[in-house]
Amino acid sequence: MMNIALIGNPNTGKTSLFNNLTGSYEYVGNWSGVTVEKKVGLFKNGKDQLIDLPGVYSLNPLSKDEGVVTNFFLEESFEKLLNILDASQLRRNLHLTLQLLEYGAPVTVGLNMLDVAKNRGIQIDIEKLSKSLGVHVAPVVARSGKGCKELAELATGEATVSSEKTLVYYGKAIEEGILQLGQKLNGRTRHPVRWLAIQLFEGNPYVKTYLTTFLPEAEIESIVDSVTVAQQQQSGGIQALDQVIHRKRSDAIEKIVSAATTIPVDGKIPLSEKVDRIVTNKFLGIPIFLFMMYILFMLTFDWLGFPLSDALDAVLSGPVTAGITAALNLAGASSFIQDLILDGIVAGVGGVLVFVPQIFILFFFISLLEDSGYMARVALVMDRLMESVGLNGKAFIPMMIGFGCNVPGIMAARTIETPKERLMTILLTPLMSCSARLPVYALFVGAFFTGNKAAVVLSLYVLGVAVALILAKVFSKTLLKGETSVFVIELPPYRMPQAKALWRSTWDKGKGFVKKAGTFIFAGSVLIWLLAYAGPEGVNVSMDESYLALLGGIFAPLFAPIGFGTWQASASLFTGFLAKEAIISTMNIIYFVPDEASLQGLLAIHYTPLAAYSFMVFILLYIPCLATTATIYKETGSKRWTAFSIGYALVVAYLLSLVIYQGGMLMGFS
Amino acid sequence: MLGNLKTGEKGRIMNIAGTDKFVRRRLLDFGIAEGSEVCIKCILPFGGPVMVESCGQCIGIRRKEALRIEVERV
Repeated sequence: MMNIALIGNPNTGKTSLFNNLTGSYEYVGNWSGVTVEKKVGLFKNGKDQLIDLPGVYSLNPLSKDEGVVTNFFLEESFEKLLNILDASQLRRNLHLTLQLLEYGAPVTVGLNMLDVAKNRGIQIDIEKLSKSLGVHVAPVVARSGKGCKELAELATGEATVSSEKTLVYYGKAIEEGILQLGQKLNGRTRHPVRWLAIQLFEGNPYVKTYLTTFLPEAEIESIVDSVTVAQQQQSGGIQALDQVIHRKRSDAIEKIVSAATTIPVDGKIPLSEKVDRIVTNKFLGIPIFLFMMYILFMLTFDWLGFPLSDALDAVLSGPVTAGITAALNLAGASSFIQDLILDGIVAGVGGVLVFVPQIFILFFFISLLEDSGYMARVALVMDRLMESVGLNGKAFIPMMIGFGCNVPGIMAARTIETPKERLMTILLTPLMSCSARLPVYALFVGAFFTGNKAAVVLSLYVLGVAVALILAKVFSKTLLKGETSVFVIELPPYRMPQAKALWRSTWDKGKGFVKKAGTFIFAGSVLIWLLAYAGPEGVNVSMDESYLALLGGIFAPLFAPIGFGTWQASASLFTGFLAKEAIISTMNIIYFVPDEASLQGLLAIHYTPLAAYSFMVFILLYIPCLATTATIYKETGSKRWTAFSIGYALVVAYLLSLVIYQGGMLMGFS
Repeated sequence: MLGNLKTGEKGRIMNIAGTDKFVRRRLLDFGIAEGSEVCIKCILPFGGPVMVESCGQCIGIRRKEALRIEVERV
């Protein structure tokens, strides 16, 4: 079994191709950098393994995401490469291909989006292209899977070749530099010297670090310097080495492309541009975005989501509970087991499961935004606003994804190139109200704000974004000063989202929630129920005498000034750190109710509407959940920043809730 | 300068050396360099970014970077 790495530019259909070649359930998106983790799949023909790499334009990285690829080439072992190209952007794509050929591993090229190229009038002679590159080239339609079988046979077959020829001659100075480095290394590296040298001259920091394990840094720098000087003497210009190398590659590509393609005659305006004239319009851009968000919320909470959740609640609390009770009676279960299952597990897990329809609707829309290509436009439209708080438009994408779940949101921040902006985005994404917080709002608005459910929930989402923007401004003026903000984004053409890919993507994101209900929430519910069942006095005590009441009671006075100084509230906040939806499970168990409706009735006794709003604001901001905290630590690699992300959230949440509750009281609300 | 073109106007890039180092690298990645023909597709309000088309692909860059790219009108 061989390892084959799949590599290509962003937005070339790499992830779709990966799914079609391996037949696995993967995530398909359309904005730069959806593939943030290393994924490995087995080819459908079972011969080899395919490794999915993040999309890159070059092996010389600018962002951390791209560094993953360079590191992969330097450190990991693989036998072959599968390079996917966008046929409509051949020149740009071939820059990467040339670097891959220089690396020397056998390469198979998949030519995608020939239809797009055809629409622009570009005809590509695949045979000629294959001949001039010296490797196999096969046409493929990544989205539909057409041609994937043939491509898989080529890539996994015996006949894969590495290009024998040197495609680019970089000029005397650089070529001599390559020889010079080769003599110094004297065959000690397992990578081809030519590739290492060219990457070094281009300024690839990862390759430079790699070379320092063989040569002293000063020696490496002196080679680079002498090549720079020689180059400038020979050309008489002051161009930097990376520009010279880029130019030489462009020249070589021009020869290859002009031999293999026919030049288009300019014609009609593509549909994509017509759409862009509207959605990125000067005046309409932001209103259209806000309108889309409004539709999303109305569908999730009012028009579609609520009725579905209510129906599911009725099924769970009615027939399902009755069925389980009957089954338990039939099995002759003890009253302890009956209580544990009905009041603990069914109440806890069921309370979370009823929100599955709403969460899937939300994830469906996020997938739709990604797959259609609109997400990149959102980044463009929001850039001006983000720039004013020290971030760039790209930071808005992790935040949008954070509405679904903070964990992938934080990982998506890897596509932000500047370290400062990336760190800020990581720190602020947890303020985006994720889908796990949604059940809490849904429960409370159902109990207290029936007249304007969607408006109240929307106010919380907006509050999260507003707090994030204000804090971004504060952080960029204080903790994270310096470093200029930059913004360059590719706007891929719009694509009609495909039902299958959309469903996969929605299911991929939503299944985590269902799985969590079956594992985390299940275990948590048992634990909470046991803590509520037992107390210092023994077992089966009244709830107010239980360990849970004791624990919650210690912290309850702290929360009194912000409107919810009960032990029940503080106990549920603790479980909320494990997973935000656990707050609902805990409340269901504590208040001893089987379904959503009766819990809402009980809550009306324990909370005033003002306290309920204050509670929701606190839930929105108070702490990233356990999984998010772990991701923050993984992504920042810093205990200090992880602790900071928890600390600032607690402080901000408390202060805001205090202002809302005390301010509201002063103004006469209750 | 590219940033001075109006929506729908076309230009050929003469010099990108004046841009931020990072922006220049990205432009090269997108295949946009001296000699490329570009067209302004849209300009966002309040000094926001511009959307530029070149060889059938669209990219967004900030106005202040666009003002550092020399172009000649075509």
